[in-house]
Amino acid sequence: MTIGSAIGQKIGAAIVAPIGWLAAIIDAPLKLWQRATGTTGMAAFFLAPNMLIFGVFVLAPFVINFLYSTTSGNAFFLPDRSFVGAEQYQRLLECGSYLDPSTCREDLFWKAVHNTGLFVVLQVTLLIVVSMITALILNREIVGRSFWRAVFFFPVLLSPVVVGLIWRWILQRQGLLNSMLYQFGYQPTEWLTDRFWAFAAGITVSVWAHMGFFTLILLAGLQAIPRDLYEAAEMDGTRPGRVFWRITLPLLMPNLLVVIILALIRAVQIFDEVYVLTGGGPGTSTLFLTQYIYEVGFASLLRNPGLAAAASILMGAVLVVLTLVQLQVGRRNEKKGARE
Amino acid sequence: MGRITLTNIDRAYGKVKVLHDINLDIQDGEMLVLVGPSGCGKSTLLRLLAGLDQPTSGKLEIDGRDVTRVSAADRGLAMVFQSYALYPHMTVRQNLAFGLENQRMPKAEIDTRINEATRMLEIGQYLDRRPGQLSGGQRQRVAIGRAVVRNPTAFLLDEPLSNLDAELRISTRAEISALHKRLATTMVYVTHDQVEAMTLADRIVVMRAGRIEQIGRPLDLYNEPANLFVAGFIGAPRMNLLPCKVKATAPGSVRIEGPGGLSMSIVASDANLKPGEDFTVGIRPHDMTIGMGSDGALEAQVTLVEALGPETVAHTLTADGQKLVAVLKGQQLDGSGGSIKLHFDPAMAHLFDRSGQRVPHR
Repeated sequence: MTIGSAIGQKIGAAIVAPIGWLAAIIDAPLKLWQRATGTTGMAAFFLAPNMLIFGVFVLAPFVINFLYSTTSGNAFFLPDRSFVGAEQYQRLLECGSYLDPSTCREDLFWKAVHNTGLFVVLQVTLLIVVSMITALILNREIVGRSFWRAVFFFPVLLSPVVVGLIWRWILQRQGLLNSMLYQFGYQPTEWLTDRFWAFAAGITVSVWAHMGFFTLILLAGLQAIPRDLYEAAEMDGTRPGRVFWRITLPLLMPNLLVVIILALIRAVQIFDEVYVLTGGGPGTSTLFLTQYIYEVGFASLLRNPGLAAAASILMGAVLVVLTLVQLQVGRRNEKKGARE
Repeated sequence: MGRITLTNIDRAYGKVKVLHDINLDIQDGEMLVLVGPSGCGKSTLLRLLAGLDQPTSGKLEIDGRDVTRVSAADRGLAMVFQSYALYPHMTVRQNLAFGLENQRMPKAEIDTRINEATRMLEIGQYLDRRPGQLSGGQRQRVAIGRAVVRNPTAFLLDEPLSNLDAELRISTRAEISALHKRLATTMVYVTHDQVEAMTLADRIVVMRAGRIEQIGRPLDLYNEPANLFVAGFIGAPRMNLLPCKVKATAPGSVRIEGPGGLSMSIVASDANLKPGEDFTVGIRPHDMTIGMGSDGALEAQVTLVEALGPETVAHTLTADGQKLVAVLKGQQLDGSGGSIKLHFDPAMAHLFDRSGQRVPHR
């Protein structure tokens, strides 16, 4: 035995020893617990830490949030607040026409709903199309394929605030993009202070920030399609467009459904990068639901935690529906996979 | 028509050359089987024929038309893939129709062709099922059906039986053979299973390391293998190859010595062998018998007996470490081991020189 391996063994023993002592200490009570409760009790024992964390950080806040949504006033502590039942919900849902936010009692909420709805439709569509095209390109034998995969995934690793800041430096009036346009003789554009461009910038930036993740899922799906099928299609004289629509897309559909639902969930929750980029402006043109909840609950002078909580519960309901759809799709894919 | 001619075909991937100067003339209506061990280039050659890969150099003709750079779809060939490559999200009917729809064929014509193929392959009852709902054998039929409906100039089959169990392989092999006779269309069939090659082929092409080792009719390859590789590859169990030495020569014969105390005269009228020269004697396991005499006998210890009923396969080992396999008629050994003397008719021996090439001697 070499000196090195002897030292290694001693270090290993020193690390393992405390674990052994700990095991010896908890062994006796665990045995007693198992004798008393059986294997079901043991399962409960091992699940308890996780359930505790879930309870403290997810379940309890959810219940407390719901209780807040049934109270009014601007006090933060629940006992100091007055119970109003469903009044906050009524206030949010009271509307002349849901298509016109100005007819609603809580017009900002409905403006945020409209903005979020439009954002979800446009951003998810663009995100899916761009991610799909990128995945299709990265799935081909291109030079530096691994490098390009890393490049497209890189923004996913950035904090949303960093994403927002980077793009603010690029898009602000005296930012990089306008400087470059000026060099080529174009007039500067108000990317972040024009209603249309600010909304478009929000979509573009969030697509840029998230597409790497979705590209990765689609790429994995593309690579799971057997190469033989494409060769069979080639032998069958299938045109490239038909190969995509009749072979690639149907076989990619399980992944695509997951991607669409995840993208929808993320898009509904959009906040940080766009908030850093535009602050919800100009006016309320990039005000989204999460920002509305944050501002009503914490940031405005006349803060109303009850109203914010009610809005978050309504938004949560939408997310629950989307999550259930995702779970259903996932289960269906699993069953289908098992059959094939 | 379905004559395929390959002239000086080479294929290299970077610096690695996988096919070397392949010359092959496949006759119209022929069942040609490409056989060889894994990595010998047989599938690559089939892909070149299909148009799924391009040769680095050389020329490929179908019915006299140069198709070397013609796309797979325009070669008029159909391929049956090892994995079947059926579109899993389509029904059997859709799988069969897909290639015909690409050609913008009228629906009535598509239906007629599908009906003919399904009747021929007895897959009519599965038309509305998806591949995932079919057994391996049924999928295999559908894959063949997809090729049949295209009415191709030639069929290319890439190890189509390799995913089937042993029993189904035998029955499907017979069906493919019958299909070939019925359609009378050229078929190029790739396999690593020499039994499949022997039973199906009009001609066999034996390949090794990207080169053609021998082309011939199955029994020609069996009876007169061109070299040691073909001798070892064709025939099951594989041929016994004994390293021997020429002890003496006489007009029309040579006296040889080999492992297991072998000492015998072999007719070698055409062989240009000299005393002291090393060469290899090949003897098929089926040509060996158990005997008593010591002349021309190989003395060996029995290591394993496989009693198959109508024949017995004896695995033996000589004192000098030479493995020998003998297939004996009937039930001759009881499996208790011991020493036996194996004999063979010198006329059944195959001679190979030091470079491994066949020495004509009969």
